[in-house]
Amino acid sequence: MKQYIIRRIIYSLLILAGAIVITFIMVRLLPGDPIRAAMQQNVDLNDASIVEEVRARYGLDRPVHVQFFMWLIDFFKGDWGTSLSSGEKVTAMFWRRVPVTLELFVGATIWAWVLGIPLGIYSALNRNSWLDALFTSVSVFGISIPVFWEAIILIYFFAVFLQVLPPSGYVAFFENPIENLKLVLMPTFVMGTQSAGGLARYVRSSFLEVLGKDYIRTARAKGLREKAVIFRHAAKPAMIPVVTIIGLSWGGLIGGSFIVELMFAIPGVGRMGLDAVFARDFPIVQATMVVVSLNVLIMNFIVDITYGYLDPRVRLIK
Amino acid sequence: MIFPKRVSIGAVLLTIILASTLFAAMNFFVHKALAQDEQSEWVWTQKNPKPSWWRWDEKYYPAKPVRGGIYRTAASRYIGLMNPNHWPVNDWVSMGNFYEKLILTDGNYRSTVPFLASYWEYKDPVTVIMKLRKGVKFTDGSAFNAEAIKFQIDWIRDKRNGAWSRAWLAPVKSIEVVDEYTVRWKFKKPWAGFLGIMSNVPGYVLSHQGLKNDVILRDLKKAQGQAKRLKRKLAKGGEKAKKKYEKAKADVDRLTPMAEGIVSLDAWGVGSGPWIIEEAKPGNRMKYKRNPNWWFGRSIGHPDMPYMDGVLVTVIPEPSVRLANLKAGKIEALHIDKSQYPLVKDDPNLNVWITPGNHVTSMVFNHAEGPCKDIRVRKAISHAIDRKAIIKGTQFGFGIEASCMYPAIHWTHNPNLKPVKYDPELSKKLLAEAGYAKGLTIRGVMGNDQSSVKLGQAIKSMLAQVGIEWKIRTVDPVSGSDANKNRDYDMAGGGWAWIYDPDLMATGLYHPDGGFNYGRSNNEKAIALIEAGRTETDLVKRQKIYWELEKILYENYEDAWLFWYVGIDANRKVVLGYNREMGMAGQEGYFATHPGWFKDGHN
Repeated sequence: MKQYIIRRIIYSLLILAGAIVITFIMVRLLPGDPIRAAMQQNVDLNDASIVEEVRARYGLDRPVHVQFFMWLIDFFKGDWGTSLSSGEKVTAMFWRRVPVTLELFVGATIWAWVLGIPLGIYSALNRNSWLDALFTSVSVFGISIPVFWEAIILIYFFAVFLQVLPPSGYVAFFENPIENLKLVLMPTFVMGTQSAGGLARYVRSSFLEVLGKDYIRTARAKGLREKAVIFRHAAKPAMIPVVTIIGLSWGGLIGGSFIVELMFAIPGVGRMGLDAVFARDFPIVQATMVVVSLNVLIMNFIVDITYGYLDPRVRLIK
Repeated sequence: MIFPKRVSIGAVLLTIILASTLFAAMNFFVHKALAQDEQSEWVWTQKNPKPSWWRWDEKYYPAKPVRGGIYRTAASRYIGLMNPNHWPVNDWVSMGNFYEKLILTDGNYRSTVPFLASYWEYKDPVTVIMKLRKGVKFTDGSAFNAEAIKFQIDWIRDKRNGAWSRAWLAPVKSIEVVDEYTVRWKFKKPWAGFLGIMSNVPGYVLSHQGLKNDVILRDLKKAQGQAKRLKRKLAKGGEKAKKKYEKAKADVDRLTPMAEGIVSLDAWGVGSGPWIIEEAKPGNRMKYKRNPNWWFGRSIGHPDMPYMDGVLVTVIPEPSVRLANLKAGKIEALHIDKSQYPLVKDDPNLNVWITPGNHVTSMVFNHAEGPCKDIRVRKAISHAIDRKAIIKGTQFGFGIEASCMYPAIHWTHNPNLKPVKYDPELSKKLLAEAGYAKGLTIRGVMGNDQSSVKLGQAIKSMLAQVGIEWKIRTVDPVSGSDANKNRDYDMAGGGWAWIYDPDLMATGLYHPDGGFNYGRSNNEKAIALIEAGRTETDLVKRQKIYWELEKILYENYEDAWLFWYVGIDANRKVVLGYNREMGMAGQEGYFATHPGWFKDGHN
């Protein structure tokens, strides 16, 4: 197990290094000078020295490889640079936004579990019933529905038509818990339904596979109650592959958060990253990519370890 | 004996009544005088008479203002950079809440409305005397006076402060304090754009104390950096390095206690305006509370101004969600997308205002190389574009056909020019004359935003009708800027937003010095007129120069101007105090001086 963990850590670090290098190079390979472009949006600048001054201030006048190593050293020292758009320290911006996005992730995961797992189990136990067909359709709908469309429909229905929930915005939980819960209900639901559909499908097929196994038949043959068969004998082995999808969906949530945070006006990491991409705000784009990569890698690592723990066969694969 | 021996009750009563009346009258005048404590008179002159919208009586609005309530609105973004002189500025809406300008513009975008500058006069083409308003204080308690203005202007002009607006003040030679409320400006050469610039970024007046604090923060940051660098070199550097390090270290020690507790103006704007920042959460929301000592309300005898208790600006990036907030009653006002007009026009809870703005959308030609060097080609393209159809198809009908660069409401627009007629047959004829009877292919660049893509497609299909194939590259703003710089196009999407002083746009697009020209346009007559416009300080003569400039550009088909912007705003009917006619006539001047209120004092 120890060897397995060390191997996974090395793989994760290699992937992270690759992500950092690729992001850094790709952002700089894009055509155009972000400093000049952004300044010209404000005024006609006849004084080229001002542009050069700003470029030097952000270290963009140095060779790319120097910029890279400087950034890398600073990054690991905890200095993620200064935003080109706001002039604020990127680290401070992240600290402010990470808890917001984490709250959405946790909320979305709860929705995904609450909706996806029971739906999947019910469908598996009532295979080919009309409810199974309905839940399967709902799951597929959940997977395929675009996030922005779902968001806008919910906003107009609950906030404009029924007027029971606020349309958008964010207030920290410790500032106003009730308002916070009201505000995150819709965005977490939208993010959650995206994962719930896939989760339900996965749980259903995993359960069906396990329910067809010999030991389940044996358990039923020896007269165990159906509840005991399902929860004591089928649930654990059926949930092993589900762990993977839960972990992967956590990584995928960041993609959903980019759109959800934009639609519901939530000041999280996703929206900051999206704004930075459009503004070509190098330091934020780079930091976001590293944080996103780390998020996915850590979750994959946890999944791998959990999987290895739950299923000894995985540990033996060299 | 002068007192009577017997005094009647009537006489006593009469005396009491008279004394009380006198006391009440005195109280009233003293109160009035205190309310207007030492503020300068509003100076209106024959050349700059009092505008029709400068009133607050029942002719302005029939209902009486009521105090109270929080005005809620939405912004598409708020990044949290509150010093307008520090790039990049994206929070213009917020700036206007706490900073005020020296001079405001009127409904025709002329810099004519005295505000923090109460009066100004060109003593000669290179000297301006400017009187500043008395009795104004910044909300941090520091005084607004000639020293404050001189400090700010010198601060902008000092390279160490990294103000991107420094270029705007390039013609300034010096600014001197004449007395507590008077400054003298000296220019390197005659400068007509001065008033326009004072209505623009450098004209936003920032707290004197705030700027002084920023200088401390700047010096501390520099000293800390120096000390850190020099410390590393101490071992090898010898005595000289040691001395330098000690000096830097002493600077750090001296400045550190001074910097304690200071918040930069970049993060927390402080001005003299009607609102004071109460909470600032970049990317989320901004709360303002009422400035109870706002000088302007007192100066016109309305000390209750601003009437509302506060303002809440929430960041909502998505237009459809902003509209949902308005319809749900979560915000009071919104600048709405044109496509959303059908959703608000019949809403009984909303007032909807359609207003022309000062932006122009155009197609710019590369005159330096390629087929568009030929006026016949430019003319053919211009006549091949159906401007009415473009406004209908891409702007949902909201736009005004443009005849030239300055919008019709701008004081510099030549009213004798008519929009270029849609005439595809003439286009075909002109192309044949130019040697392109069998067709012409031109290169183009358009932005990748939805509106530019739509516009590009519409024009492409119109040009195809006359035998022109326009090969468009759709690019993001940063790449677009590069294409512009390298003149990598024959015809590209262009335009200008927020046209205040006319020289900025004229130079930017049509003068070799311009930041958007890059050698693409080199019209000698136009260049001469642009240079004349920069130095002519007489408003009437200057207007004639720009009329002539527009005529020259129009006749040379310098660019294809498409439409002038029309904006749509909606506000909930509970907000009162907007007089449409006066608002149109006064624009910036009106909005800065006529704050609204809630019907019943709450939202």
